[in-house]
Amino acid sequence: MNPAKQNNPNHADKQPPRWAERLLAWLHPAETLEEVQGDLDELYTYWYKRAGEPQASLRYVLNVVSVLPPFVLHRQSQKNQYPQPSSFHPSMLRNYLKIAIRTLWRSKGYAAINVVGLSVAFCVCTFLFLMVYRQLTFDSFHQDGDRIFQVYRFLNEPEKADRSGSMPMPLTPALKADYPEIAAATRLLTGGSLIEYKGKYVDKNISYTDADFLQVFSFPMLKGNRTMALRDLSNLVISESTAKAVFGNEDPIGKALLLGNEGSQKQYIVSGVVADAPDNSSVRYDVIARIENTPTYRNSRDQWDAFSHNVYVKVAPNVDQATLENRLKPFAQTYLSGDLEKLKKQGAKPDERGDLVAIRLQKLANVHFDRDISGSGAPIAVVYALLGIAFFILLIACINFINLSIARSFTRAREVGVRKSLGALKKQLFVQIWSESALICLVGFLIGSLMAYLLIPVFNAQFNAKISLASLLRPGVIGGILAMFLLVTLAAGGYPSWQMAKFNAVDVLKGKITMKRPGFLRNSLIVTQFTISCLLTCCTIFALQQVGYLRSRPLGFEKEQVISIPVGNKYSGRQLIQRLRNKLTNDPTVLGISGSGVNLGRGKDGSTSRSMLGFTYKEKEISTDWLLVDYDYLKTLNIQLLAGREFNPAYPADSLDRVIITESMARQIGEKNPVGKFFQTDTAGTKYQIIGLIPDYHLYSLQQEKKPITMHLSHSEPISYIFVRVTPQSLNTSMGKLRGIWGEIAPGAEFTGSFLDENIDAWYRNEDSMAQVFSFASGIAILLSCLGLFAVALMAIEQRTKEIGVRKVLGASIPGIVLLLSRDFVKLVLIALAIATPLTWFLMNQWLAEYPYRIDISIWVFVLVGGAAVLIALATVSFHSIKAALVNPVKSLRSE
Amino acid sequence: MRRTYLGEFEEIVLLMVAILNGEAYGVTVSQEIEQHTGRLVTFGTVHNTLIRLEEKGFVTSDLGGATAERGGRRKRLFSVTALGSRALQDIQQVRSQLWQLMPPNALKVSGI
Repeated sequence: MNPAKQNNPNHADKQPPRWAERLLAWLHPAETLEEVQGDLDELYTYWYKRAGEPQASLRYVLNVVSVLPPFVLHRQSQKNQYPQPSSFHPSMLRNYLKIAIRTLWRSKGYAAINVVGLSVAFCVCTFLFLMVYRQLTFDSFHQDGDRIFQVYRFLNEPEKADRSGSMPMPLTPALKADYPEIAAATRLLTGGSLIEYKGKYVDKNISYTDADFLQVFSFPMLKGNRTMALRDLSNLVISESTAKAVFGNEDPIGKALLLGNEGSQKQYIVSGVVADAPDNSSVRYDVIARIENTPTYRNSRDQWDAFSHNVYVKVAPNVDQATLENRLKPFAQTYLSGDLEKLKKQGAKPDERGDLVAIRLQKLANVHFDRDISGSGAPIAVVYALLGIAFFILLIACINFINLSIARSFTRAREVGVRKSLGALKKQLFVQIWSESALICLVGFLIGSLMAYLLIPVFNAQFNAKISLASLLRPGVIGGILAMFLLVTLAAGGYPSWQMAKFNAVDVLKGKITMKRPGFLRNSLIVTQFTISCLLTCCTIFALQQVGYLRSRPLGFEKEQVISIPVGNKYSGRQLIQRLRNKLTNDPTVLGISGSGVNLGRGKDGSTSRSMLGFTYKEKEISTDWLLVDYDYLKTLNIQLLAGREFNPAYPADSLDRVIITESMARQIGEKNPVGKFFQTDTAGTKYQIIGLIPDYHLYSLQQEKKPITMHLSHSEPISYIFVRVTPQSLNTSMGKLRGIWGEIAPGAEFTGSFLDENIDAWYRNEDSMAQVFSFASGIAILLSCLGLFAVALMAIEQRTKEIGVRKVLGASIPGIVLLLSRDFVKLVLIALAIATPLTWFLMNQWLAEYPYRIDISIWVFVLVGGAAVLIALATVSFHSIKAALVNPVKSLRSE
Repeated sequence: MRRTYLGEFEEIVLLMVAILNGEAYGVTVSQEIEQHTGRLVTFGTVHNTLIRLEEKGFVTSDLGGATAERGGRRKRLFSVTALGSRALQDIQQVRSQLWQLMPPNALKVSGI
């Protein structure tokens, strides 16, 4: 029946073509290779006998091809021999769960470290993420937000390009007339004012705008018609909260209001109510009125060189920003010719876009971060830094998780071996071990979320952040958090599980796999952790140093014992100061009373203003702060005169055309002895005489370089702030006393006085809260890193128990063993330090470059941080290594 | 029992496995097919059909019977399962029933 069997293999020397054989061995599926090779050999012999060599070889090749992919089917190995229950069989799942709980219970310590690390990281990440989210979604709620821009002026001055959001009054009408692609444009000028309604007074900010305001911005209208609301000059749109404050439950539509300070009140009709601006809006308002109503409008209507307000435009759909900016080039050259001439005279060069002077557009979404033109947010770099920190902290927690899981995997190797020998597949083992990690992650995540939920108020209070639970519950944020969780679970749980599932069952059961050598992966992860920690710590220290430096720098005046009172809108400052002087003239605790147009520091009213003046003096361009002061200003702030005299009521001319200048101003005009010299701000204007010279002092925060200052006493400008210097002994009582007197001299006006040193501190609130967030984050990072190191060290030392025992028996000393065990870890920390140092140096140089007054980066900080890091790591590790070294070797060697 | 579809070639291979009765493996099956039906089939076709029959549960296989002639390699020997023999018998039965229904002269071609 079987010819191959009947014939003995006397054709053994007759071989099929070698290449075909090799092709077969190479490409045929491994499961059936043996039998197919045999069968084909037999067939070859059979063909050879029947038809000779060529025929047999040809058929052999043809048949080989017929069993090569893609023609051949794959044999499912032993598919039906043993029924394979599904991995999700209930009893299997029950077993997994039981094993998971047992292993977690047996290693409570590791599980706790993992859960604590992950939950803290999740919690901190949520906070930072929400902070970043709030910043990045600023102004994102407008309809067609991508078509809204703020207009800014670009001047390529010789030293530094200058960008400013302040615009001249006639610009907006001209823009609208000349450019049809600008669909709507509005000016926005904000000023405080008093609202009077039926004998009730409320102090509110008035936003003076164009009728287009409600077209450009899509703040929801609650009452009134969006297109008609600001049509008339006497129309007024008020915010919801203002409506409540002024009218209570009455319907405000159609009601008449009085706006303005006493003597210059004007009547308006409320024509609309608009919802309050959301918390993340750059444009804020209480009351919106037409800009034509501002007192100075008549004068400034055609002035192209008086810059006072911001301008927002909404362009038509499909208008490209770059194209429009190009089209605006001739516009800037025509209307800003004054600036152009000045810059040309100074020898300024055009920038890379060929502009000396330009009108450009900034997207509304970016306005918040653009401090040059009007933004008030943290610079975008800081926002990304926060995001980076959040990521780093999460990374550190993940690294802990991975390291611990890998370290622990060797203690569970036996279980894997037994499971494999009982028929568990790699896939099943992976899923089992990974789901245990996922369980820990889930617990950590839930605890972290709970912590975040509970700690939001604390975080807000501590770091002056405005994050809210509401923004946590948005679908996008929830999606982000879930994605973060999934990523962590996959990254942190997946790798160790995969490693474990890969164990060779035979080796494991023979006990061949141990962790004698710490893996390269583990080491690099520890290095990463400590690099990040050192980086954050160094950055924090430099940031704190910088803030401290800004604080401690002499400002040029004495900020202690001075109370600053914002005047408000109800009364004239000059009047109030007179009344205050009358009241306090014989009070021994009051050393000086003065006033100014500019507050020092940031007071309770939170406002700042700056007025600059530029003119030509002896053919030189002069630029100076133009500061309104009152008598006794120098005395009250304790600024010493270098030459000349202070303003004095005895000289009537002082209030007309006398000025006091600072040293840098004297340098700028090039006069060695400026007292007595005259200058003119414009050819036809007043001739000012210099009567005093004072040292430079910081009128504005140290983030801005101090400019030359010229002080004047002109009665045409209002006094907005009153300064009162008191004696040190009366410091505690004086605030209360002033509040009482204020109630008498300014009935009905709110008293918002505060100490000047507190106001000065407020200048650095931004840096302060930044530094706080950084310290907080780096503290957490260090803590988590040490937690991880602690656990990994424990594990590594546990595995070397026997080695230590043998060493001790052979005569090793305890310090020697401690050194041996700690050396490896300290080495890792040193490597981390070496990586972190240049990185920090680079980053901090970038950050500090923004400050005109800054600290030097001191090498000692690195030494200090490095020393501390090594010490902390050493302390963490020695806790275990000393314990291990002290153990009696009998104990560790007894078993086996 | 749901009848599993058996293709024409599958049926022939299954029959050969039954005929060879314990001696069926790739070589013998393809040689028998060649001898008894005159069809030249590639080895791959037979191999694939055997795998498919096993997947369907009509045959089982075992490795064994290494001979020097095939370089000491084992062969995969096939035998018909209960399911396979039931399937063959069913086919046979259906066919004979159909033949019985055939009118006596139906296959005689007229005109010859």
